[in-house]
Amino acid sequence: MSNKTYKIIKAATNIISGLSMATLIVLGVIYISFNNAFVFNNAGISVTNNPVTGDQINFILEGSRRHECLLTRVHSHAINNDTGETFDFDFNKKVYLRSGDYLGNATGIVDHQWGVPRPENMPAGVYEARLYSEFNCVYLLFETTKIQMFDNIVLIIE
Amino acid sequence: MDKVKNQKITKQVERWDLFARLTPTLFLLTTIALILFDVVKVEYAFYIGLTGFAITAVTWWWWAIFTIRYLIITLSRASATLTEVNVEVAEVKKELAELKDEQ
Repeated sequence: MSNKTYKIIKAATNIISGLSMATLIVLGVIYISFNNAFVFNNAGISVTNNPVTGDQINFILEGSRRHECLLTRVHSHAINNDTGETFDFDFNKKVYLRSGDYLGNATGIVDHQWGVPRPENMPAGVYEARLYSEFNCVYLLFETTKIQMFDNIVLIIE
Repeated sequence: MDKVKNQKITKQVERWDLFARLTPTLFLLTTIALILFDVVKVEYAFYIGLTGFAITAVTWWWWAIFTIRYLIITLSRASATLTEVNVEVAEVKKELAELKDEQ
């Protein structure tokens, strides 16, 4: 191998190695950022038809979503502030009032409204509703399961 | 002894150079291939990379410390020897000048 060829190979491997190192660092930082990010940012859930008099409880979720996430599991219940009694909401019977994208993968501003039937035998009172949701999020090469919980949702049943 | 150790250090520097040149590219390509073919999860690849990076950094750090210490010792020894030679040359010069004066 001539001296010139050796020098060219050495310079090329230097550049490739440097670029690879930079790529590894950037990918590592992106992965950590993706892994630690919440599904919804600056988000909150509240009941829109408080106090509830009918058979349906309407919820609204507002916030923003940075990554593409697909809802895989959801559970929600309400706890009576006085008695501590718990009532599960049946998400199989939910109806979307606005935007059907809570299950979808769109990013950006999120404004979802949905309603669930009022559980049977749910007496009047003040409740704290909670929502637990599991998502499968994807970003570039990365994929992870994320959990987001919302609590302290005030629900008044009349 | 010094010569053998100097040769050892030269070899070690060459090995570090080769390691720095090849490892990042090989690791990046291998990891991407393994992730794309679903052999390894991104999470595991990330931790393997992080562990490799940490081991390399610590190993290099201690190697650099010991090598620099050895180089400083060698340099100060060479410097002391040179000073001695300098002093002796000055003495010889002085003696020669005195001899010339006497003649």
